[in-house]
Amino acid sequence: MDPIVATIWLIRILFLGLLYLFLFGVVRVLMRDLRAAAREPVTALGRLIVVASEVEEPALGTVFPLDAVATLGRDVNNTIVVDDGFASTEHAVLSFRGRAWYLEDLDSTNGTYLNGAPIDGLASAAFGDEIQVGRVRFRLERAGT
Amino acid sequence: MTAANFVPTGIGIGPIRPRFRRRELGLLILVGIALTAGSVSLGTTRALLADGTLVVQAADPVRLAIFLGALGVAHLAQVLAGRRTDQVLLPAVAMLGGLGLLLMERLPQDQAGSAFGDSLGLAGVQLLWLLIATGVISVLAIVVRSDTWLRRYKYTWAAAGIVLLLLTFVLGEESNGALLTIRVGPFSGQPTELLKVILVVFLAGYLSEFRPLLIDESTRLGPLRLPPVPYLLPMVAMWAIAFGIVVIQRDLGAALLFFAVFLALVYVATARISYVVIGLILLVLGGFAAYRLFPHVAIRVDIWLDPFADPSGNGYQVIQALIAFARGGLLGTGLGAGLPMVGGTLPIPAIHTDFPLAALGEELGLIGVLAILGLYLVIIERGLRIAAAAADDFRALLAAGLALVVGVQAFIIAAGNLKLIPLTGITLPFISYGGSSLLANALVVGLLLALSDRGVEAPPPPRRSRSRLDRLLHRSAA
Repeated sequence: MDPIVATIWLIRILFLGLLYLFLFGVVRVLMRDLRAAAREPVTALGRLIVVASEVEEPALGTVFPLDAVATLGRDVNNTIVVDDGFASTEHAVLSFRGRAWYLEDLDSTNGTYLNGAPIDGLASAAFGDEIQVGRVRFRLERAGT
Repeated sequence: MTAANFVPTGIGIGPIRPRFRRRELGLLILVGIALTAGSVSLGTTRALLADGTLVVQAADPVRLAIFLGALGVAHLAQVLAGRRTDQVLLPAVAMLGGLGLLLMERLPQDQAGSAFGDSLGLAGVQLLWLLIATGVISVLAIVVRSDTWLRRYKYTWAAAGIVLLLLTFVLGEESNGALLTIRVGPFSGQPTELLKVILVVFLAGYLSEFRPLLIDESTRLGPLRLPPVPYLLPMVAMWAIAFGIVVIQRDLGAALLFFAVFLALVYVATARISYVVIGLILLVLGGFAAYRLFPHVAIRVDIWLDPFADPSGNGYQVIQALIAFARGGLLGTGLGAGLPMVGGTLPIPAIHTDFPLAALGEELGLIGVLAILGLYLVIIERGLRIAAAAADDFRALLAAGLALVVGVQAFIIAAGNLKLIPLTGITLPFISYGGSSLLANALVVGLLLALSDRGVEAPPPPRRSRSRLDRLLHRSAA
């Protein structure tokens, strides 16, 4: 084979090889990222983050992973205990049904607020919404990875 | 959209600490090595073809060095800003952009066909736009710390998009039979490229707000369960807009891209297959009607069905692209060795805008094309990962939409080049020649990087309560 042609052929193949070396490098980073994400248990459907609180339970910044049904109120048997004088013992229920979140007020004395407005019985909630029980405000967020 | 919406880095989040980005640096170095090898391959082949001697040299070391230098600066800026953004997107985009630059280097320089183009040449103009695109990506990734300016003004964005669309209808200049270009003084641009970004922003805002209603099901149509009838209107409106683009603008590619991204996002938001089915039925009906009614659509479809019916006329370009792929084979002819000139011109006139994949398919072969398609898959994967990790629906939909708009566009034009679907004149993201395309795709990547930052501020709570919507929801459910 002509040495000139052979050299050029080698450079060509080298270029293609380097393209794949880059792709391999990228895929390795992606695999590592996916494995790290898979190791984290993702059982929660979403999470509630306390964004405003003047009481100790729940304290500001607490994160509650959410199951399909979470009850909020002053009673210790609630999923999320809101130890605030303005919260009722059984105040509200946050549930995930089918494909959407619903917030239900359980005839609480001071009402449940969604994005600053009192809800009338049942309201649909979405990620990013703010929920207020007593003087404690939560933000509903995706569980994330 | 005032300066107040851009919260400068460092305010309220403590001092900025440089944060090393080892993975990005490693991948960028690989990009640099690979592109240098490509440039040497092109330069050496050219020297051999010119005088038959072996001179191992890069094709245009200066332009390549400037491009790689700009990437280095972009990387350094991210490191110094200390943001925890995605480390794979920039290298992947840089590789695609670099391949585009090599291709423009390799094509005849007089293809540019504009005032700048004549003095700078095809590769010069492309390099300039690549530098601007790199700048846009870095600035967006570093400066954007809040998405309020995108989510609050979704109807403003939609209005801006419709104005842009109408402007194109009225002022658009015809190129290849489609109204694509708006010219203002010495500047010209293709508004559809910008429109696709605006569309994704609007859809993300709209769908995240009305998601609870869209997944409600109260109307039944045979086996399909549908949401309340008023909320089907956006679907019909979107279809009408896409149809309008086909009829008035005669731009099949943009119409297909917009409608496909719309359907994909609706599916992401609702996880309801019935919407996709309705959308596809509308698409098929619309497509068939357009085929019957409008000759410019009929021509495209006829070429696709049988390009050899008119091999030297309408089917010429598509046939030449197929021959180019065939000539490339598995390993390709090598950069600089393919694309024989026919009578002093390239056989595919729109090779730098619509057919770059055919050119790369000939010179890098099946292996090279697969690597390029792999890079687009990487960009989509990153976008969907960013969406999965997003804090709320708006960000998730925005990230998914931005990634899909690039991916779907690459698929439409790649499939068109390969005669898998009718050819539509849209660009191959990051590779095709042209400022509008590079800038719009840089916007997409910059926003994706900004969204991927783990230290970004929490999304603001919705301003308006949804109680009005809820009443509607319950009335329709009752």
